[in-house]
Parts: sequence; C-alpha cells; structure tokens
Amino acid sequence: MKSRSIFFTALAAASLVACGENGKTNEKQEVAVVDTVQQERPVTIPEDSLTTAEYETEVVVPGLQIAWGMTFLPDGGMLITEKSGELIHFKNGQKQQVQGAPEVYNRGQGGFMDVALHPDYENNGWIYFTYSSSEGEEEGGNTALMRAKLEGNQLTNKEVLYKATPNSTRGQHFGSRIDFDEQGYLYFSIGDRGNRDVNPQDITRDGGKVYRLNADGSIPTDNPFVGEANAKDAIYSFGHRNPQGMIYNPETGEIWVHEHGPQGGDEINVVKKGANYGWPRVTYGINYDGTPITEETSGPDFEDPIYYWVPSIAPSGFVYVTSDKYPELKGDLLVGSLKFQYVEHLSLDGKTVTAREKILEGIGRVRDIVQSPAGDLYVSVEGKGIVRIVPKQG
Amino acid sequence: MRNVLMAGFLLVFIVGCKDKPGENEQVVSGKPQDHLPEMKESISRGANIYNNFCASCHLMGGDGITGVFPTLKGSDWLAEKQKASIHAIKYGLKGPIEVNGLEYDNLMPALGLNDQEVADVMNYINNSWGNNFGNFVTEEEVSAIAK
Repeated sequence: MKSRSIFFTALAAASLVACGENGKTNEKQEVAVVDTVQQERPVTIPEDSLTTAEYETEVVVPGLQIAWGMTFLPDGGMLITEKSGELIHFKNGQKQQVQGAPEVYNRGQGGFMDVALHPDYENNGWIYFTYSSSEGEEEGGNTALMRAKLEGNQLTNKEVLYKATPNSTRGQHFGSRIDFDEQGYLYFSIGDRGNRDVNPQDITRDGGKVYRLNADGSIPTDNPFVGEANAKDAIYSFGHRNPQGMIYNPETGEIWVHEHGPQGGDEINVVKKGANYGWPRVTYGINYDGTPITEETSGPDFEDPIYYWVPSIAPSGFVYVTSDKYPELKGDLLVGSLKFQYVEHLSLDGKTVTAREKILEGIGRVRDIVQSPAGDLYVSVEGKGIVRIVPKQG
Repeated sequence: MRNVLMAGFLLVFIVGCKDKPGENEQVVSGKPQDHLPEMKESISRGANIYNNFCASCHLMGGDGITGVFPTLKGSDWLAEKQKASIHAIKYGLKGPIEVNGLEYDNLMPALGLNDQEVADVMNYINNSWGNNFGNFVTEEEVSAIAK
C-alpha cells in the first residue's frame, strides 16, 4: 500500500515534468499579487434557456470582407480594419483606403485586427492597431501593436510598441483586442498561437496573455512581473487561450475579456493583475476530436471565469452597453458569435450573468460590436459589412 | 520496487505528453497503404495543416456544423468540385453554396497557405474520413488555379 502511494506521487511528478516548461512558472505566479478576495463562482446557462429578441438593423457600411475592428472618430467618421490588411476611413457615406497601414501577415486567423483611439485622441491624435506581423528573424508571424496618427489620408508617426516573438507559421490564435482603462493604461491580448503546451503558462514567452502598457508603449513599473528574471514584463495576466473581445467595465472599473475555448469552454474573464486563467491546465472545453484536454475545470492556482459557454459560440466582439438608446440592453453585455451567427445579449447583475438572449439571429458571422460615441450599436458581419442596431424607441 | 517505479516514470513520460491529442494527430481513415509514397507524405503534411487551419470550423472529423460550416466528410460539393475546392482554399469562398442538399451562405476567408500546403490539405480531405475523392493534387495544379 505504501509503495503504491509512492508510485502515484512519482506518476504525478513525472507528468508535471513531462509536459515541459510549465513547472517553473508555478512558483512565479504565487509571487504575483492576485486579488482573489471575492471569488465569483463560474456560471453557465444552457443553450435551451436562450430566448430571442427581434431587432431591426440598417446597413451602414456595405461591401466589406472581414471588418475585424472598428472605431469612431470624433467627426463621426469611422476607421475600419479589414483582416486582409486595408485600413478604411468611412466618412459621409464614402469608403477611402488609408495609405501606410501596417504590413500584415495574413495567414489563418492572422491579419489586421483591432483598432482603438487613445482616450484623449482629440488632443493627441494617437490611434492604436493590432495586427499579425512577420517582422523578425523567424519564418511566420506574431501579433504586434502599433500606434500612429491619421493625417489626411495617410498614417504617420508610426511606432511599433510591441511585437510578440517568436514568429510561427501556425494559423491560430493571434488574439487580439485593445482597450484602455480609466487610468489611461492600454491593454491588449495575444492568443496562444496554437502552441498551448508551451506559451500560455510561461511568463517568459509571448502568447496566451493580456498585456498592459502605458499609452506610449513603455512598461508600467507596477506591472506584475516587472523585475522577474526573463519574464515578459508587459504581461498583465496569463493562461489565456484566445481573447477576441475586451471591454472596460465602467461599473466595476475592470478590464474584462472573453476568449475562445476549444470545443466548449469559451469564457468571460475579469482581468486581474498577475492572475493565471488556467489554459490549458483547466478548461470547460475538450479537443476538436472529442478527447479530453484535462479533467479539471478549476484549481487553486487558477482564476475562474465569471461565465463560460458549452457549447462554444466562438465569441468575437464585446460591448458593455451604457447607451440610453437601448434601455433593455443598458448595463448588459453584447457578445458576437462567429459560429452561430447572432449577437448574444447577456443580462448582468454585478459580475453575474443572469440570462442569455439571441438578438440579430442568423445575421452572419459576427466579428465585432462597438457602441459609438452617440450611443448607437454597430455590428460587423463577415462577408457583409457593418450594420447599426436600430433602437426600439424613438 | 525500484524497477516498477522506473517503469512508472517511463510510462508517464510516454503517455504524459500524449494526452494532448487533437493538436497534431494524423487521422487518415482512407486506405493509406494503397497510396504512393508521395501521396502519403502529402496527406501527412495535409493532416497537420488541416488541424492547424481548418479543424476549428470543419472539426477534426470533417463533419462541420450543420447549417454553418459545411461538412467535408462525404461532401458532394468537394467530390464534384475539385477545382472549386482548390480555389476556395487558395482564395477563400463566399456563399451561397449547396452541400449535400443544404444551403450554406457564409464566408470562408483566404487562409494564406502556399500552393504546396493547399495541395497537401486537398489530398488530406480527399482521402480522410472515408472520402475517396479526386486524383493526387500537385503544387503545379494549385498554382495553375487563378483568382
């Protein structure tokens, strides 16, 4: 009996070591400051509880392929990123291609991704982009963050603020979304680049992370892994799979992401400093061939999601609605579904999702959702373009 | 005891890293023994590309999702439209198309694969999950397909 337990200990130890460079990061995350005072329990709501609501839409920008990201300029114009690499300035009903857009590595899920304005854009003119870039030594690409200014029809003052390494020819999981918090910190996401056993749990590597930078690209001195040997000190949280939705929740003062799970196990996570979200050690998902990834959905070293989806909806685009034009959505979340081709309305009570509702059912693969400064909701649909959700009242 | 323990270690070393199927496993359920060596190699490379670029929508078993992502397994569209299939992988595809009697009106983006990779993944999907479609697809054949 005794020898048996030794045997099992050996088994456990061996399997930890066997799968690679993960062991060492274990100790590191305990050093990090993790705010887990109020741990919410993960919630899910089964598919058959979904209700449906009807909304009218109107096409605002037709004739786009994959409008991956969009943002509104103060003059009412829009900047739109096409995955294939074009930056489009849409103004007064006209599309114009902006010159000098970053060169993108358009392969698999990579390409031109998000676009966001600095919170003080009107005074400083900075625009931020994420895209997959082949810059660097190795073949392939990885996610980069650039800032630039728009002068006339030209991007100027271009600065690459971050370029993840190494490049890889794998087609998966580049992320990426950008957002700012109220202090003006910039957050962006990079997915695990299809290398889940190597990247997400290792803070010395890029991929499977949410990053935090100052708006000029410098590293905030209180980032959680600053000063740790070999750590990428832009990392703010890790153990992510592929976040393609990011919001600043003004009620809680937090950055939230949603991320693609494998088959099952998409999640909404509240991004906390230094926290480990567990991919691939814990997940509610399974492999695409139906085999398990892990038996565990939770663990003491890992931050739980506040919400998870089984089956996966393939979430992309994320909005916390503050607009009075849609009182029935205000204070709630909207999430695009690439897979089931609708927008999901998640009713929110604090940090708890209390109901799921399908809106814009059958509209197409939803890539992005934004709320404009005027309070209108815009949805980017792959193969179609950008539509506005018509408010139900006045 | 020591030997048993070592055996346990070894076993786990071998099994431990195998508990991540899905990522790069090659599932070829045609009759690979009937294929020429160059076909086998192409199918094997194609399996990696498939799992890397295609499986997140069309799934590992090629079943797709009814009404959203068309099936590849037993697909009449793939069987009958080999050139159009190469074109779709090379340049992307915009619906509507009809597959096994169901309409799919969706967008598949261009994947950014090179011509050899397109040929390999075609050979894989043509010869997997019971499919036995088309002839050996070569890089030259793919490069001849114009936008």
